[in-house]
Amino acid sequence: MRAHFSRTAFFEGVRDMSPMLLGIVPFGIVCGVGAIAAGASPVAALAMSMIMFSGAAQIVATQLLAAGAPFAVIVLSCLVVSLRLIMYSAALAPYMRPLDRRWRNLLAYVLTDQAFARTIQRFRDSDDTSGNASYFLGSGALLWVVWQLSSLVGVFAGKVVPSSWQLEFVVPLCFLAILVPLLRDRMSVLVFAVAAVAVVVLDAMPLRLSMICGGLLAIGAGVLADEARARTSRRGTR
Amino acid sequence: MSRELTIWLLIFAVGAITYAARLSFIVLFARREMPALLAEALKHVPVAMVTAIVVPAIVFTSPGTLGLDAGNPKLVAALAAAAVAWWRQSAVLTIAVGMGVLWLLPYLVR
Repeated sequence: MRAHFSRTAFFEGVRDMSPMLLGIVPFGIVCGVGAIAAGASPVAALAMSMIMFSGAAQIVATQLLAAGAPFAVIVLSCLVVSLRLIMYSAALAPYMRPLDRRWRNLLAYVLTDQAFARTIQRFRDSDDTSGNASYFLGSGALLWVVWQLSSLVGVFAGKVVPSSWQLEFVVPLCFLAILVPLLRDRMSVLVFAVAAVAVVVLDAMPLRLSMICGGLLAIGAGVLADEARARTSRRGTR
Repeated sequence: MSRELTIWLLIFAVGAITYAARLSFIVLFARREMPALLAEALKHVPVAMVTAIVVPAIVFTSPGTLGLDAGNPKLVAALAAAAVAWWRQSAVLTIAVGMGVLWLLPYLVR
């Protein structure tokens, strides 16, 4: 375990994740409040945020629970909103190969939208396995701790951040800060455009399936464009 | 089934799902080579998925209502933030400008 740990990289991860906390805190509070509203005890509410550790799944589970949905429906809905985690897992898999099992198991636990988006570019740019793993762990650990603390606030203090502050908008802004610098080549712009249009057009789909379907369509478009480009360049060299 | 028991069962069932999803491909390709086409496709995951998360949060003023004009403060704020993110790769600055515009816009337009 210690073989792959780099203190410096860990704290770089902590530092780079910290701007995102402004969006995480209100979201965590809402999840804590939601769990209590759905009838969970404080202990169950905190266990939920530690064991599920997914804002999207927690919101879906508590809302459906409060609405009296059947158990199987709740589980299935949570499965659907968790599908994107499978895509992150796949995208990170090649970079996790050199790590031992305990590291992989630990890093998978702290894999979130934020940790993935924040760290994937570093994984691509650098071959430093230990540095990358520690950086990911630092980002994930900070998010984990703050997520639990904000759930705690939601559970015991209620909704202390007024909705009028619109702090939930910090979440898309954080992702925008990551996304925009990635749009430097035509292929990325194409994937962006397809995803943006598809997610809006498919918005009426239930369970926010539009997100995963829009993403998959954009990935498909990217693959087709890659193929087309490879074919024309092959023809060009002939 | 009592409410409390239902909630605990749900916590473990959904916890198992989220962890299995997170671990899935990391374990699957820990020892074997990834097919070339899949590896190719995965290059597009960051842009595709981050876009799919971000865009609805910006363009919908309320669930199901599109706001693609200057009357949607989130759209204006996001465009300003995107411009900042393009010139300066700073999350702090991007958030500051985006939230600043979102908060000040109602006063400026009035």
